[in-house]
Amino acid sequence: VNLTDLQTLEERYLMRTYKRAPVEFVRGEGSVLWDADGKEYLDFLAGISVCTVGHCNAEVVEAVREQAGHLMHTSNLFYTEPMVRLAERLAESSLGGRVFFSNSGTEANECAIKIARKHAHRRGIEAPEIVSFERDFHGRSYGALAATPALAANPDLAPMLPGFRAAPFDDAAALREVVGERTAAVLIEPIQGEAGIYPLSDETLLAARQACDEVGALLIFDEIQTGMGRTGSLWAYEQTPVRPDVITSAKALGGGMPIGACIASPAASDVLEPGDHGSTFAGGPVACAAALAVLGIVDDAALLRRVRELGTQLREGLLALDRVAEVRGRGLMLGVGLAEGVDAAAVGGDLLERGLIVNVPEPGTLRLLPPLTVDPDQIERAVAMIDSALLSYAAT
Amino acid sequence: VSSEKRPPEPRALTSGTAERLAAIVEAAEQAAAKVIDDAEEQAQRLLQDANARADRVVAERLRALADELDGSSGASDGRTDGPHLRPVEPAPEPSQDGRSKAAGARLLATQMAVSGASREEIEQRLRAGFDLTDTSEMLDAILGPEE
Repeated sequence: VNLTDLQTLEERYLMRTYKRAPVEFVRGEGSVLWDADGKEYLDFLAGISVCTVGHCNAEVVEAVREQAGHLMHTSNLFYTEPMVRLAERLAESSLGGRVFFSNSGTEANECAIKIARKHAHRRGIEAPEIVSFERDFHGRSYGALAATPALAANPDLAPMLPGFRAAPFDDAAALREVVGERTAAVLIEPIQGEAGIYPLSDETLLAARQACDEVGALLIFDEIQTGMGRTGSLWAYEQTPVRPDVITSAKALGGGMPIGACIASPAASDVLEPGDHGSTFAGGPVACAAALAVLGIVDDAALLRRVRELGTQLREGLLALDRVAEVRGRGLMLGVGLAEGVDAAAVGGDLLERGLIVNVPEPGTLRLLPPLTVDPDQIERAVAMIDSALLSYAAT
Repeated sequence: VSSEKRPPEPRALTSGTAERLAAIVEAAEQAAAKVIDDAEEQAQRLLQDANARADRVVAERLRALADELDGSSGASDGRTDGPHLRPVEPAPEPSQDGRSKAAGARLLATQMAVSGASREEIEQRLRAGFDLTDTSEMLDAILGPEE
């Protein structure tokens, strides 16, 4: 079966929700992928920040293999050790409360939305509202979608879930205006990922915390993309002047296995009760074993320091290039703002042909999310390829 | 002294015996070296455990301090008790805002320390986010004075 065959089968059998690049990957190791023709690619997207410990990391592969050989699924009606151990590790490494497991990031946000609404009802609010920022991305299920203003505006998907409001991005004063007596929670990405890597300012984060405290609302950080070491600390909130009440995690958590988690502080840990929420597959032993292996690698001061250092190397390398206007983000979560008029999609396509995988989340921006285990030489090669692609673009 | 009562002459070592003895001595030396290695390894392990325990104690203290700062920046432990149905003040008093900002800076520094950031990294982040020129007092309080 070659790529053309796959495209024919896709056309016949897959819903048309994705516009895939014309490449079939068959193997991965560390920061490198190989396609069906044996061509090598440097992966600076890591499956959208999923493969942060590299492709086919030996420790993760072994954990999955061993657990799959013992027990793959029991449901949440029984105990399994990997789930409980993972909950302990996630809670102790962050907010110190309790954890609800899910199968994805959008489901983790659904759990957070339920916590916020029930918490608000307990405070006597009949029609609670969740506030998020314009250009936020929290997922595609209806609750998470309603908190994703750009996608929620799609009339073909109406009616949307009520009880959501959007505040202008990174505007502290406007946020204070939007948060009011009906606010159940402010749900934010500390660094907007899908929008193109836009960090929230300290001023806005402080305003969000203060506004939530004043009305008794919860502050929820969607750390699905920023968490698990991506920004150079295990959780991005650790590099901000606030501590949220709830954080959601997914993507890198399972190192390639689908898993999400909603982690609450002690104050928000007992809101959900039996019957309020659940999942058949969530917290399954194989995904949890993988996540424990990933945490074993990522929750390490030396690795996190290396992420910050490599992030600085990548940022400085990119800023030295012509036609790079700015570099946004933190650690190894970087958005490269190209000079005005440069077509990022064309540059991204050229880079794929040259053997570098990046993402173009918006016109004018390249998004770089390499594995945290990337090495300095690979960063140097990636910067050189981006330089060549930009020079080539300028020549056309 | 008759030859019968004379103590027996020590026998000359045959080459085979000498080899066996050499092997025994070598094995004994290896065993002794292993005992030393094991002892060193155990001591190293104990030292690592002690360091890890010390790190955990420091992290717990820093977390406790972060919790305290989090509380002083406005978070209330009793958030869930009773309704808080009043609108947010559109423009908080500058002094309150200033206090909140200072508490935020301290919380940021503490959280970064917990996550393993260096003094220089925290200092840089404080300067960028909070426009602080002198961070030494805050950092001394969290990380201990610079040596």
